[in-house]
Amino acid sequence: MPSDDQLNEIIIEVENVPSRVVPEKTLVNSSFSMVSSISDIDVTDSQSFGNSNAKKSTQLLRFSSSLNESFSQTLRRSPGSVGIDTSHENIQGQKLIASLIPMTSRDRIKAIRNQPRTMEEKRNLKKMVDKEKSKQSRHILELNCCAQCLNSFSRAYRRSKNSLSELLNYISLWQKTFKVIGGKFGTSVLSYFNFLRWLLKFNIFSFIVTFSFIVIPELTVLEKNTLQFTGLEFFTGAGYFRDTVMYYGFYTNSTIRHGSSGPPYNMQLAYIFTTAACLIICFFSLLFSMARYFRNNFINPHIYSRGITKLIFCWDFTVTHERAVRLKQKNLSTEIRENLSEIRQENVKVTLNQRLIHVSAHLAAWVVSTGVAVACCVAVYYLAENNSEFLKNHQNPGAVLLLPFVVSCINLAVPRLYSLFRLVEQHATPRREVYILLIRNVFLKISIIGILCYYWLNIVAQAGEECWETLIGQEIYRLLLMDFVFSLADSFLGEFLRRLIGTQFPTSLGLQEFDIARNVLELIYAQTLVWIGTFFCPLLPFIQMITLFIMFYVKNISLMMNFQPPSKAWRASQMMTFFIFLLFFPSFTGVLCTLAITIWRLQPSADCGPFRGLPFFTHSVHSWIDALSQRPSYLWVVWICRNLIGSVHFFFILTLLVLIITYLYWQITEGRKVMIRLLHEQIINEGKDKMFLIEKLTKLQDMEKRANTSSFTVERRDVEQTSPLHVREHGAAHDLRFRRSVQEEHPKV
Amino acid sequence: MPVLGCVCLRPGLRVDDSWGPRVLWCVVSRCRSEPEGHVPPTTLPALPGVSLPHRLFYRYQDLAPQLVPLSYTSRPDVKVPYELIGSMPELKDNPFRQRIARVFSDDGDGHMTLDNFLDMFSVMSEMAPRDLKAYYAFKIYDFNDDGYICVWDLGQTVTKLTRGELSAEEVSLVCEKVLDEADGDHDGRLSLEDFQNVILRAPDFLSTFHIRI
Repeated sequence: MPSDDQLNEIIIEVENVPSRVVPEKTLVNSSFSMVSSISDIDVTDSQSFGNSNAKKSTQLLRFSSSLNESFSQTLRRSPGSVGIDTSHENIQGQKLIASLIPMTSRDRIKAIRNQPRTMEEKRNLKKMVDKEKSKQSRHILELNCCAQCLNSFSRAYRRSKNSLSELLNYISLWQKTFKVIGGKFGTSVLSYFNFLRWLLKFNIFSFIVTFSFIVIPELTVLEKNTLQFTGLEFFTGAGYFRDTVMYYGFYTNSTIRHGSSGPPYNMQLAYIFTTAACLIICFFSLLFSMARYFRNNFINPHIYSRGITKLIFCWDFTVTHERAVRLKQKNLSTEIRENLSEIRQENVKVTLNQRLIHVSAHLAAWVVSTGVAVACCVAVYYLAENNSEFLKNHQNPGAVLLLPFVVSCINLAVPRLYSLFRLVEQHATPRREVYILLIRNVFLKISIIGILCYYWLNIVAQAGEECWETLIGQEIYRLLLMDFVFSLADSFLGEFLRRLIGTQFPTSLGLQEFDIARNVLELIYAQTLVWIGTFFCPLLPFIQMITLFIMFYVKNISLMMNFQPPSKAWRASQMMTFFIFLLFFPSFTGVLCTLAITIWRLQPSADCGPFRGLPFFTHSVHSWIDALSQRPSYLWVVWICRNLIGSVHFFFILTLLVLIITYLYWQITEGRKVMIRLLHEQIINEGKDKMFLIEKLTKLQDMEKRANTSSFTVERRDVEQTSPLHVREHGAAHDLRFRRSVQEEHPKV
Repeated sequence: MPVLGCVCLRPGLRVDDSWGPRVLWCVVSRCRSEPEGHVPPTTLPALPGVSLPHRLFYRYQDLAPQLVPLSYTSRPDVKVPYELIGSMPELKDNPFRQRIARVFSDDGDGHMTLDNFLDMFSVMSEMAPRDLKAYYAFKIYDFNDDGYICVWDLGQTVTKLTRGELSAEEVSLVCEKVLDEADGDHDGRLSLEDFQNVILRAPDFLSTFHIRI
């Protein structure tokens, strides 16, 4: 690329000009490297190669488009003919090779992989590096056998890790379906299905753990089931299922021992520790996923809220169907037009009256939505309270389904009511509209679950009924199943009907768009119920697994037949971050609180379940600790339990430490924001420097040209050679002057 | 060196969720000298299913069965012409298919060798790092190949994206606005650093600049 080489030469020449013309050149260079190092710290990839070595290597091998081209040409030639070149272009290349040599071979391969070169160039680069390294290491002694052992061990470990991850990815579910969905509807709709698959993995893990440690031992000491089986049990969960491994009440509280010398299996401890282990692993995996999403998706959100650049440069390459692509192009044009008109309207003033109307509309909408949610909670509570009397009056076993039916109706109708509010309210941006809708729906769903938990833990558990845990388990099972049935009905009937209305009747409704937010909230609601219910009904993850599996196919078919691709750009990754945050914050922490209250405060029922007869659930652990303290070799376990986990001071100090570290990191982030702003200003200044220098250069060349035209014709040839450069630079300077004048007309902050 | 030969050495390399240049790793590892203890090809076990290098090679071969030989041991210098690349189902409706093929081909004419083909799908796979993707996206949007995205490049991009739905005045307004928003050093065109800054603030970029195969 001749222009770049010439640009290099211009830079070289400028460096030779006396320093008063170039006052800030050194500052410019350092700011470049600072910018690149800071952005390296901020930009980490979603699949981070994990360690600081990768970051160091990306810092060293920061590539820019202008200086690498000649080195690429060097690489394309046969590597044997490359000697030590001292030209300016290859100094960069030599630095590259020199930085690659001291790395370990794994880091070196990663670093070469990350280079933006063709495969042939990368191969030659590796050959060159290997040759240089072998030249240098000829003097180093042979590695002793210990290091060689370690080397071969790490290589074998890496290979096995690779093949294991490949195997896991090979059996990953639904790859082809994802490709089809992505091709027709884009990444935004795909994010819902991704979320579903991710929740499925949670449930599969919970199921495997509970099945192996709780259900299978119980199955070995099965008691006879004397109840009758009718088909209604699938819906009510009561009846025949009450005395199966499905519910808490069936489990024995004894220590299972097969044969006189078999290992003892304490069912109480197994039950409580398995549930705790499931929850802890879910907690950490949620935490890490959330942290990873936050890190990738919330880089400097305050700088950039809406803009047209993202629309232009983030075209969705995964969309492959012709009709979908055309639709996407049409939607993009509409969005661009809207964006342009928004800018024109930005200067339109809003009168005080209109603002008052907007504010009062918002207030009214919030009051109504909160009121509706509270009314629904109160209704659910009273229904639950009066349910027991109602059940005594009506002997029909299907009558227990009334409460789940009402809850599911509320979950179906009220979100759609909330969506209607947008006819009245006007939001500043469509994104704020989506967030407010989400918050209202979350509030509704979480308060319903909250009120039900309150009812269960305060009324049912302390009413003195036999086996209250099994009753709660049955309630949760019914809620989950009714929710599933309603979702199926909504997909099969509701969406098909909507398609018929949209296409057959001569209205311009058209096909509907997939409402990602509502569907994801339904998934979160179901998952919350499953987490709460696993303690009372250990087979619940299995049921949820089957449910999610069926839902995937139903939603997929319904999507293909009844929906059109989304018209607005949907910020998929920011939304996913928000959803995972919702899954963690109200949902999972609520589950933890509920289970904590159950285990620490409530009294287990007296004649069923693994904890029968104990005053509290935690007494099983306490008695185990007491039994352990008799054995001298396990005293350290006893010490940990009594002084760390069992004491308040430890958690107090831990919380204090976490708060201090959080405050420090927050301050560091604030400092970095200031730094970024300063560097941004420096970049602008440096751009102005560049303009100034190029103008100066063109003036110098003008003067030189005038001096040359007054001498011999031989020099005219030189002038003609430099004139393309001159014309181009003149054109660039003209461009820059135009830009500067535009800048002055529209002063930006 | 025989590309396909060493591609077959490491079966079971993943496609969608792992980064394509693991293929490069196997290619590069074959080039290491034997005394380092590299396992000869015949003794490596085969994993179930068809691995990425196989799949990519078969897709490449399917494009031009008469042109592409099944064995690459003789290092044939075969280029599949652009018309066949552009008719792949993953690319045929992409507005930028011509630019993609040009960026990844050796001579900028869109005709791709197997190496170019593997390069393309490795960069467009899910796990290529953001910087690498930003670099190639920059090259794709740089229509006149001058190392900067100038107003003309932006106009071409917008036209391709909207398929002629916007008027010329709207297109120039859009280009003006993009330069306002993204041009950090105010030189009237976007450099690679400006582009990378834009990409930094667009977390969706990693998942949208992705072609599934």
